[in-house]
Amino acid sequence: MKLAPLIGIEAVAFLLIIAETVLFFDFVVPLGPIPHSLTDYTGLALLKLILIIALVALWFVVMVGLTRLYVRSRIATAPKPST
Amino acid sequence: MGLADVGLLLLSFIVPFLILIFGLPPFLRLLTRMGKVSDDVHKRPPSKVPEPAGPMLFAAALVGEALVAAGFHSWIPVAVMLGAGVAFLVGLTDDLFVLGGKAKPLLLLLAGFAFVGVIAIRPDLYQPVLTFPILGDTAPHSIIYTVLAVVAFPVVANAFNMMDAFNGEISWFALLTSLALLVGVVLHAAYTSGFSLARVAATLPLVAVAAGFLIFNRYPSRAFDGDSGSLMLGAMFAGLAITGGVEIAAIIAIVPAILNSFYTLSSIRGFVERRKMLSRPTYIGGDGLLYPSTEPNAPNTLIRLILLGGALSEKDLVKSIIYLTVVACLFSFAISALTWVQ
Repeated sequence: MKLAPLIGIEAVAFLLIIAETVLFFDFVVPLGPIPHSLTDYTGLALLKLILIIALVALWFVVMVGLTRLYVRSRIATAPKPST
Repeated sequence: MGLADVGLLLLSFIVPFLILIFGLPPFLRLLTRMGKVSDDVHKRPPSKVPEPAGPMLFAAALVGEALVAAGFHSWIPVAVMLGAGVAFLVGLTDDLFVLGGKAKPLLLLLAGFAFVGVIAIRPDLYQPVLTFPILGDTAPHSIIYTVLAVVAFPVVANAFNMMDAFNGEISWFALLTSLALLVGVVLHAAYTSGFSLARVAATLPLVAVAAGFLIFNRYPSRAFDGDSGSLMLGAMFAGLAITGGVEIAAIIAIVPAILNSFYTLSSIRGFVERRKMLSRPTYIGGDGLLYPSTEPNAPNTLIRLILLGGALSEKDLVKSIIYLTVVACLFSFAISALTWVQ
């Protein structure tokens, strides 16, 4: 049962990976009308780039947050050798 | 599926397995005679273990994949072993000369390029779509998929490499995750018309190599695979996940390794060769147990997080990693079933 929090983190990681991959392939990649000018094209590309970075950042922030929470809750009672 | 197909499937598992069982002991004796031994640093006093066993692992996998290529007239094993071969050479170079922390992932991109290069000859090597449970296939995205396929090689190979710190850790991890991969590919084959049996057969040498190596690598280890072994196993896994069309299930199975890499890279802020880390995530107490470092700048590896729950012997620590991997593989089975079973 000591592993339960880590299994929880693992589950969150995998659910986020699936959800974000679906968002990436089904929404971000096909996003927007077909661009008609270079400005349109650049704007759309920038928007997609920002969305991709946001998806990666979301995973990063959630995982860092969960890990910090776990480390903080355990560090005070971290085992130390008796000798 | 005819009798000949069943025979080929059996051979693609048995032959690489037997090559390791009978070939590894003399190879380990040769390594010892050549002085190629490493300290097993988690033992008190450290014992000497032959390293790298990677060349023998690669040879066994190569023979197994060659059988599949010849038996099924398939290019899939060629592509997989091209990627795995490049990763093996990068790892062997690191075993012999020690590469920098940034050089290794960059060189591993070559493994991805070698793999996707085969698509120029065989356009049906993989389909540029991802299949999700319930939602089904994405639209085809050739360019994005190919870029992701190239990047997958350094990412997965490094993730496997970072799971190679304790006796039996990499071999258990490779065996469990390759079984999850095999289940995914078998379900994909069973419920998809026209799915080539070669894609299933190509997965078997990986399972065989992992199972055979486990006999020598489990606690207490008689062999270490070295970077040549772990990077090769990771690259094979990546290639087989792509050719088997089970990318999502494969990613889920290796979530413990992904988390481990993420923890390490985010806490040391970049690629640093492990021998050059300023502070260690764990240490061995006088009682022989492993303890987590309580230093604020200690890297947050998966091992440290496990040990924060209580000091463990090396054997029990590896058991904990196996439990986490089993859970991830069960998630992976569920994803495969939800995706393919109709």
